[in-house]
Amino acid sequence: MRRSNARGSELSLVSLLLIFVVTACTAPAPSLSNGGGMAATRGSEDQLARGRHLVVSTACGDCHGGGSNPAAFGWLDGIRTPEQEFKIGPFTTRARNITPDNATGIGRFSERQIFNSLRYGLRPGETPDVEITSTIPGQGNFPARPKYLAVPMPWPAWRHMPDQDLWAIAAYLKQGVKPSSHRVVDSEGPPDFWASEYTVEKIGPWPLPAYPTANETGR
Amino acid sequence: MCLAGAQGRAIIGVVPTLELRILIQKVMLAALLASSVTLGAASRPGSAHALPADVASLNPPLLVNRSSRPKTVEVNIVAAPTRLSLMPGKMTEAYAYNGSVPGPTLEVREGDKVIVHFRNDLDEPTTIHWHGIHLPFEADGSPFHPVAPGKSRDYVFTVRPGSAGTYWYHPHPDHRTGFLIAKGLYGGIIVRAADDPLPKSIAEKLLILSDNRLNPDGSIDFPEPRSHHAAVDEENGREGNVLFVSGKVMPTIRIRRGEVQRWRIVNASASRVYRLAIPGHPFMHIGNDGGLFEHPVDAKEIVLGTGERVELLVRGTDKPGERRVLRALPYDRYIPQTRPDDWKTTRDLLTVETTSEPPPAPVLIPAVFRAIPPLDIAKATATRTIVFSQGMINGKKMDMSRVDFTAPLGATEIWAIENVVGMDHPFHLHGFQFQVLDRNGVAEKFRSWKDMVNVPKHETARIIVRYDNYPGKWMFHCHILDHEDHGMMGVLEVK
Repeated sequence: MRRSNARGSELSLVSLLLIFVVTACTAPAPSLSNGGGMAATRGSEDQLARGRHLVVSTACGDCHGGGSNPAAFGWLDGIRTPEQEFKIGPFTTRARNITPDNATGIGRFSERQIFNSLRYGLRPGETPDVEITSTIPGQGNFPARPKYLAVPMPWPAWRHMPDQDLWAIAAYLKQGVKPSSHRVVDSEGPPDFWASEYTVEKIGPWPLPAYPTANETGR
Repeated sequence: MCLAGAQGRAIIGVVPTLELRILIQKVMLAALLASSVTLGAASRPGSAHALPADVASLNPPLLVNRSSRPKTVEVNIVAAPTRLSLMPGKMTEAYAYNGSVPGPTLEVREGDKVIVHFRNDLDEPTTIHWHGIHLPFEADGSPFHPVAPGKSRDYVFTVRPGSAGTYWYHPHPDHRTGFLIAKGLYGGIIVRAADDPLPKSIAEKLLILSDNRLNPDGSIDFPEPRSHHAAVDEENGREGNVLFVSGKVMPTIRIRRGEVQRWRIVNASASRVYRLAIPGHPFMHIGNDGGLFEHPVDAKEIVLGTGERVELLVRGTDKPGERRVLRALPYDRYIPQTRPDDWKTTRDLLTVETTSEPPPAPVLIPAVFRAIPPLDIAKATATRTIVFSQGMINGKKMDMSRVDFTAPLGATEIWAIENVVGMDHPFHLHGFQFQVLDRNGVAEKFRSWKDMVNVPKHETARIIVRYDNYPGKWMFHCHILDHEDHGMMGVLEVK
C-alpha cells in the first residue's frame, strides 16, 4: 500500500488499521441511513492525510478553488468568476463546489458516489449509491444510460488510481474538508452529458491492458 | 381589473336560484353560441377548433351515483382501449375511463362512503390511485395492488370531513404510470363540503390541464425506448406539443361582466409546470391541493406544479365581447443539458370571453373561509431527510420489496425534501395531507393542506405530516411521471 508523503513512517499497527479501513470501504454496499449520502465509515487520520495529499498533488484546487493550498480562501468550494469557466464549443463547464456542504456542495452524496464518479466518471447526482462491478451499461450496476462528469474533469486519468486512493480522496472530501456554502451555477453541457466523449477509443480501457504492451519494454 | 376590494371581499354577481340561473344560462348560451360562432372562430388566438368549445360542456361528465342509500356514492369505472378524437378532425387510439378523456368526474361530499367498482379492460395491469385522498392502504391504488387485465377491484373509502377540495384519479402501476396517463387515463375528483363558505350561486369550472405529444395523424407519439428522444423524456419528463384543458384545445369560457366564477384547476400533465396568469387580470387564490385556505389571497400568477391543484375566483370585468387568454408563462424547471429550446414560449390555454348577458347580482365572498389548525412541530417525533437527485431518492432507486422509512400510526413527523440537482422535482406523499412549513428557509406565507410540493432546483422544502388512521405502505415520489416510473420513489410504512 502506498503511503502519503505527510505520514511516511506509521507504526505497523496503524498500517493494519488502514488496511482494515480500506477493506471496509471497498466491501459491498454499506447501506444508506436516512438522508442519503452518508459516510460509510469514518476515515482514519492516515486515510484523510492520504486523500489530502492526492487532492493537492492532482491539482483538484486548480479548477475547484484554492489552488494547491488547503489554507487558501475558497478551498475546493467552486469557481468564483466567469474567467474560470470552461467554454467548450457551445457548452460551459463550471467546476463545482466539492466541499461537503449539503445545499451547495457534495454533502448529500455518499463516499461511494464520489468513488464511482472518480473511477467511472459517473455524475453522483444521477447515479445510484451502489457498488459498481462492470463498465458495460446495464450490467453490474453500471447505469444503462450513464451520465458522465463534464469535460475537462480528468477522471479518465485518475480512475487508474488504486481503489484505496480513490476512497481516500472521497473520505477527505467528505470528512476532511469543512462545508463551505457557495453556490456555483450548474454547468451547461450537451444533452448526452458528455457520454460521447467517453468511449474506450477516446479514453482508453479500464482496467489497463497487461504489462507489457507493444509500446513497453517489459522490464 | 381587480377581483374585489381588499377588505370587504364584496363581489358583484348572480341570480335568485341555482336552477333558474342554470336554465337562463343554458338558453342564453345557446343563443350566444348561435350568434358568435363566426366571430369566435375568426378571432380566438391559437384555436384549433372550427367551433368554439361550449362552456357548458367544458366540465367533464359526472360519474353516475348508482346507490340509493344516503351518504353513499357507488360508481362504476371501466378502463378500456378506445378510439376517440383528442384533436379536432383526428382520431386517436387511446385508453379511457368510461369512454371519455378526461374520465368522468367523481363528485362526493365529506363523510360519504364511496364504492368504486373498477374493471380493467386493458391488456396490461393497472390501478386507480385517488390522488390526495385520505383512505385505507388497500384503496390507494398504489403499485402494491395491481389489477390484472380483465379483472375487477372495488375501491372503498369514506371521505374525510374537512377534506373538501379538488383531487384527481389516475393509474399508478409499477413503471407504467406515465404511459397510461398519456394514453388518456385521468379524471377529476371534487369533494364538496358540508358547509362550503362560498356562495352556492357561483358557477364552477373544472379545468384539468394536460398535455400530450401527438403526431399529425392524431396518434400519440411515444419515442423509441433506446432513442435520444426517450433519454430526454426520461430526463425532463415527457412534455406534449398539444395542451388540453379538460380535453379541449383552447376552449372558451364565457363570463358575464361582474360575474364571479370558481375555477378548480388540476395539473394532470406528466411533467409540465404551469405558471398561470391572465395578463392584466388578477385573480383570487382561494385554495390548494387539500381545499380552501383560511382566507383568500390576491394573486397575479400561480405556479402549478405537476399533480397540484388550485382553486381560483375569477371575475368578469371586461366589456361584452372582449376576450382575454389564460396563459402558461415560461417557467424554467429544466436541467441545463436538456432544457428545451422553446422553453421561453408562452402557451395559450383558454379564452375568457365576456358575454353581453346582464350583470348578475352581487355575491359576498367571506373574508374567512375556515380554520386550518397547524400541525404541532413540538409533537414531531422524527425529522426525515429526503434527498432528491436526478431519478433517485436518497441515492436509491425504487424497490417494491424495500421499506425506506417506518413510522408509528398517529405520529407527527417533519420531512425535509432537499433537491440537490439542477431541475425541479415535485414531491408527492400518498395517503396523508401535509402542511408546508417553509421553502428554502422562508416560512410558508399561509397555511394549507397539501399532498404535493414542487421543490425547485437546489432548494429545500420542509413539510409536517401526521399519519392519521390508516396503517400501510405509502409511496412518496417525484411526480414527474417519467421519474417515478424510473425509480424516483420510496416507501413509508406506517404501522
